Amino acid sequence: MSLAKLPQFLGSVNPLLKIVLSIALTACAFALKSVWANLLLVSVLMVLTFVSVRVETKSVVGVGVFLLIFTGLTGTLSGDWGYAGLGAARLLVLILPALLLPATTAPGDLVRAFQAVRLPPFLVLSLMLTWRFLPIIQQEAQRIIEANLLRGVDLARRPGLWFSGLFTPLIFRIVSYADDVTVGLETRGYDPESPRSTSQPLRWRPGDTLFALGAAALLIAVGGLEWTA
Amino acid sequence: MEKSMAQRWQLKDYVFAALMTVGLAVTAKVTQPFASAIPLPGATTIAWAPFAAIFLTLGMARLRRSGAVALMAGVLALILGIISWTISAFLVAALLAAELVGLVSGGFAGRTTRLLANMAFFAATCLTGWFIGVTFLRGTPVGDLAAQWLTQPWVLVPAAVVSALAGAVGWWLGEQIVFQLQRAGKLDVAR
Repeated sequence: MSLAKLPQFLGSVNPLLKIVLSIALTACAFALKSVWANLLLVSVLMVLTFVSVRVETKSVVGVGVFLLIFTGLTGTLSGDWGYAGLGAARLLVLILPALLLPATTAPGDLVRAFQAVRLPPFLVLSLMLTWRFLPIIQQEAQRIIEANLLRGVDLARRPGLWFSGLFTPLIFRIVSYADDVTVGLETRGYDPESPRSTSQPLRWRPGDTLFALGAAALLIAVGGLEWTA
Repeated sequence: MEKSMAQRWQLKDYVFAALMTVGLAVTAKVTQPFASAIPLPGATTIAWAPFAAIFLTLGMARLRRSGAVALMAGVLALILGIISWTISAFLVAALLAAELVGLVSGGFAGRTTRLLANMAFFAATCLTGWFIGVTFLRGTPVGDLAAQWLTQPWVLVPAAVVSALAGAVGWWLGEQIVFQLQRAGKLDVAR
């Protein structure tokens, strides 16, 4: 599903809080057996999704068709449409947090979150470098694919040429980047073992408390529905 | 020069591992359409393994010591954890399996160790992904039926073996790249 970012309130919520909530919701997707508990979670997650991120119509249609086929197949085979609906709801509880968190968390916020939980400095460095170079290496891969297209080789249709046509030149570029970045960091006196400071440390704000209370209330309500079922 | 376990990690090691992590992430994205065509949970890594293993092999060959796979796959697990902790779970299980091989062999300096580590890594991703998938499927009539079918050894064992073999293919491709980089003077590695 392709999601375009919007200015959204979830984007300002503490990223650590979002990570914890996402883990809790994924656990719910595995644990919940009550239709109503699942439906409550799905409805809240859907509201958050439509409020927080711009969802393309074709993506909604695509997911809708997939869910209809999934539910129809399950219902027809089992003869139990309640269980079929439950399966679809559990699937949505698993999918929606996975879409929401990355779409509403800036890479910089994620790094600040990892710094805030006192991850070792070398690990924060690795995370920062990975975030920083992921789009650059993707652009490099795109350039290599386009260069192949100019030579009349459509790599998308010829996986057999991926190794020689895409991965070999890409790895040579990556290794060159690794050398350049190392020299760049060393000449700036960077020490991977030393703790890093940040100009915008992660802070707990009143909005985060409200969001945490809302999330706790939701999880209690879901737990209550599951218990009574 | 061989790197001992006691030798300190250097900045260039961290940078190299981070860029190999980027490579792993890019291969996951490139192979995703092929992976999603494989209907068995966990076994979807078969499409990823031949390409991801290139970067794992390269990282192991360059860093040589135990902890190399943990540094590459661990960072990927942390990043992908924001999408779903289930992805992190199978990556952590896989890196533990690969690190166990490295620990027994005293590092990743040897080609055979790198081969075994790759095979262990991808067999573990398959088995852990399988376990998570089957756990999720349970609870509905069709899901229980599917889970019952999926837990049969004649389905599970071949999938794990094919995953390991896909990792071995990636290892072989990775060693070709290591050789090319070495010949071009871009990589100082033990073979």
